[in-house]
Amino acid sequence: MFSRVPFRRLITPLLVAGALAMVHIPDVRAARVSGRITGVVHLVALAGMPLRSGAYPSRRVNPKTPDAAEIENVVVFVKDAPTEQQVAPARASISQRDESFVPRVIAIPRGSSVEFPNFDPYFHNVFSLSRALTFDLGRFRKGDKRERVFPRAGVVKVYCHIHSEMAATIMVFDHRLYATPATSGSFVIEAVPPGTYQLSAWHERIGETTTPIKVVGGEEARVEFSLPVVEK
Amino acid sequence: MSHRTPPRFVIRTLVATLATVAFVLSAVLLVVTINAQTSVRAGVVERLETGQRLLAELEKRRAQELRAQVTTLAENSTLKAAVDTYHTELRTTNAAGRQDLLATVARELDKLAARIQPDVLEVRSASGEVLAIAGRRAGEWPAFARVNAPRQDNDAMFVTTPSGIFRLASVPVVLQGTPLGTLSLASALDERYATEISELSGAPTLILSDNRVVASTLPSESLLGLKPEVVQAMAAQDPRFVTLAGSEYAVRRLLDLPAPAPALMGHPSGAQVYVLDSIDASARPFIAKALRTMGWIALGAFTLAALASIWLSRTIARPIDTLSASLSSMTETKNFENPLTPGGDVLEVDALTITFNTMIQSVKAAEEERLSAYLGTIRALALALDARDPYTAGHSERVSALSLAIGRCLWLDDAQLEVLRLGALLHDIGKIGISDQVLMKPGPLSGEEYEIIKQHPVVGARILRSVPFLEPHIPIVELHHERPDGKGYPHGLRGTEIPLVASIVHVADAFDAITSARAYRPARAASEGLRELWRCAGTQFDAEVVHALAKALPDIDRFTTAADSGLRPFAVPVAVRALRA
Repeated sequence: MFSRVPFRRLITPLLVAGALAMVHIPDVRAARVSGRITGVVHLVALAGMPLRSGAYPSRRVNPKTPDAAEIENVVVFVKDAPTEQQVAPARASISQRDESFVPRVIAIPRGSSVEFPNFDPYFHNVFSLSRALTFDLGRFRKGDKRERVFPRAGVVKVYCHIHSEMAATIMVFDHRLYATPATSGSFVIEAVPPGTYQLSAWHERIGETTTPIKVVGGEEARVEFSLPVVEK
Repeated sequence: MSHRTPPRFVIRTLVATLATVAFVLSAVLLVVTINAQTSVRAGVVERLETGQRLLAELEKRRAQELRAQVTTLAENSTLKAAVDTYHTELRTTNAAGRQDLLATVARELDKLAARIQPDVLEVRSASGEVLAIAGRRAGEWPAFARVNAPRQDNDAMFVTTPSGIFRLASVPVVLQGTPLGTLSLASALDERYATEISELSGAPTLILSDNRVVASTLPSESLLGLKPEVVQAMAAQDPRFVTLAGSEYAVRRLLDLPAPAPALMGHPSGAQVYVLDSIDASARPFIAKALRTMGWIALGAFTLAALASIWLSRTIARPIDTLSASLSSMTETKNFENPLTPGGDVLEVDALTITFNTMIQSVKAAEEERLSAYLGTIRALALALDARDPYTAGHSERVSALSLAIGRCLWLDDAQLEVLRLGALLHDIGKIGISDQVLMKPGPLSGEEYEIIKQHPVVGARILRSVPFLEPHIPIVELHHERPDGKGYPHGLRGTEIPLVASIVHVADAFDAITSARAYRPARAASEGLRELWRCAGTQFDAEVVHALAKALPDIDRFTTAADSGLRPFAVPVAVRALRA
C-alpha cells in the first residue's frame, strides 16, 4: 500500500520535526509552566501638554462609523520571541470604508489570510511594496473583496493606489507572543515561556518603544508603556 | 583791372535757395535722426522694462505651475507608498535591505519621471537625505544643492549649478498628515527657456552662471563680443547699457541669483538672466524710413525752391532787363525826351525807373542851363566884338538873320537852320584876337595887316573847338571866307568843297558889309549890294546862294529892321537842338 514517493514525502517532515522537537525540548517543557505578560499602554502628550481628545484626527472621508481608539493602532509584541514552527493561521479583515483602511493596524500570525472588503461606493485597490510581501490585488468595486495570505513575517504596508492617503499596516509575526491593546490600553500575552525578553510597543508614527521583561513560569509579568504622542 | 562776368541772377537765387533748403533739410534730418535714436532708445528701454515686469509676473506663474505640478506628483500613491515603506522598514533592516528600499523609491520616481520628462525630480527623506533623483539632467544635479524647506508663498526658488540655473519647487510628501519627505521638481533655465523669454519679450536673452554664458539667443556676432570682462561687469554692476561687438545694447536683469555665503566648493559664484536689445538695430528701420521720407521731402523741396527762385529771379530780372534795354536804346538813340514807363511788376524797379526819370530830368535841366550859360557867354562875346566898332554893331545878329532867310529859301531843315543861325552869330568870333588898330583902321590895310585879318576864321575855329557842343558850327566859322573860285582863305577851298552853310554866311556877311556904312564910305542900298553880289556870283560867291538871297530880298528890309531892333534871346530848345546836332 505504501508507495515509495508518499513514504519519502512523509518521512522527511517527520525527521525534521523530530530534530526540532529535540532542540525545543526545554521550551516544550517550559510551555507547560508558562507565564503571562499583562500590561497597559498609555498615549501621553509630550512635555506635559494635555492630550487632546482625538490627538490623531481621522482622515476618513465622511465617516459613518465612529473612529476606533488610537490605542488600538498600537501593537505590543515580544521582539526576540523564538520562531514557532507551527503557528495557527488566522483570518483577519481590513475593510475599505470611507476612503480608509479600517482598522488601520492589525497583527496576524504568519500564514494568515487577510481579506479586504470594499464598502465604499467606488473602486479601491490594495497594493504593497514591502519587502516581506509585494503584491497588487488590483481594483475592485463595492461589495467585492480581495484576500491575501501573508506567508512571511515582517511589516507589510498596504496602500490603495487610487486613494493616496489610504494606508494600513499588517504586522506579520512568526510566533504568538503579541497583542493589541483594548480601548482601555490593557493587553495580555498568554503562554509566554519563562525567560527574559525585549517587549516592544509599536506605533506607526512613534515607532518601537522597547523595554526588557522577565517572565517566570506560572507568574504574571506586568509592564506599562507610555508612548509620547507626536503632534502632527 | 581784371573784369569777371558776374553770374546771372537766376543762378544766384538758385544757389542761395537750394543751399538754404539743403541746410534746413540737413538740420531736420539731423534732428530727426537724433530724435529717432532717443525715442528708439527710450522705446527699447521701455520694451525691456515691460518685458522685465511681464517676466517677473510670468516667473511667479511658472513657479506656481511648477509647484502645482510637483504637488500633484507628491500625491502619487505609489511614490508615497515607496517612501512610507522605506521609512517603516528602515528601522528593522540592514544596509542591503536599505539598498532594496532605496531601489523601490528610485523605481517609483523613475516611473513618474518617465511620464512628465522633467529636468530633475528629486525625493528626500524628512531628515533631508536624498533618496532618489530622476530626470533628464539628473546627472548635473549637485549633491550640495540645498533645497530649502518648502515655503508657503509662490516665490520661485532657484538652484544654481556650474552648468546652469534650475527653477525649483519643493513640496512635502505627506501620508495621513505625516510628512514623509520632500519631493522637488526642477526645471532648467536653458536654451529653450531663453528662446521662450525672447519670444515673449521680443528681445534676445542671456543666461549667465558662474560668469559663463549658459544659454543665449543673442546673434552670434554679439555673443562673440561678450568678453569675460563684459560678463563679469554685467554680473557685478548690472549696467543699463553695454556695448557688444560695436553696437549698443540696452540691458535689463530679469533674475539675479547671488552666490551663497559661505561659498561652497564648486558652487558657482552666482547666476543672472538678462534681456538685452540692440538700440542701433532697432533704430535702423526708423532711420531708414525717416531717410526715405526725407528723400521725398527733399526732392519736393528742391523742386519747389528751384521753381520759386526761377520765378522770383524772373520777376526781378525781367523788369531790370526791360529797363536796361530801354536805357540802352535811349543811350543809343540819344533820345532822352520820353521818360521811361514803370513796369508795374516790382516796386523797387519802378522806383528805380522813376528815380532815373527824375535824374534824367535834372541832368537835362542842368545840361540846358550849362548850354545856355555857354551860349550866353559866347553871344556876349560876339556882341562885345561887334560893339568894338560902331560900324559893325549888330553885324553878327544881322548876318545871322540874313543867313536864316537864305537858308529857308534853300529849303534847309530845322537842324541845319539852327547850325546856321548860331554859326552866323559866331562867324567873326576869331576877330577877338585882332587888335583894334588893325581891325578899326580907317585906311587901307597893309599886306601884313591883311594877313592878320585873314587869320580870324582859323582863330575862331580854334575857339569853337574848345567847346564840344559848338563843333557843328566850326565849318561856318572857319570857312566863311572861302570862295568858289578857290581864292578865299584860309584854305582856298573850291566849289563844292565849301559847305553850303559856310557859303550862305559868306554871302550874308558880304551883303551886310556892303549895305552897312563904313568909316570910309556910306551905307549902300540893298539893290546895289545885290547887284554887287550878282557881279561876283560864281567866282567870289556861290551863285545859288546869291540867287536865294535875291529871292529872300523882299524880306531883307524887315530882317534889317529886326536886326537893328536888338537881340532876340535864344530859346533853350534851340540850344538843345544845337547840342544834339
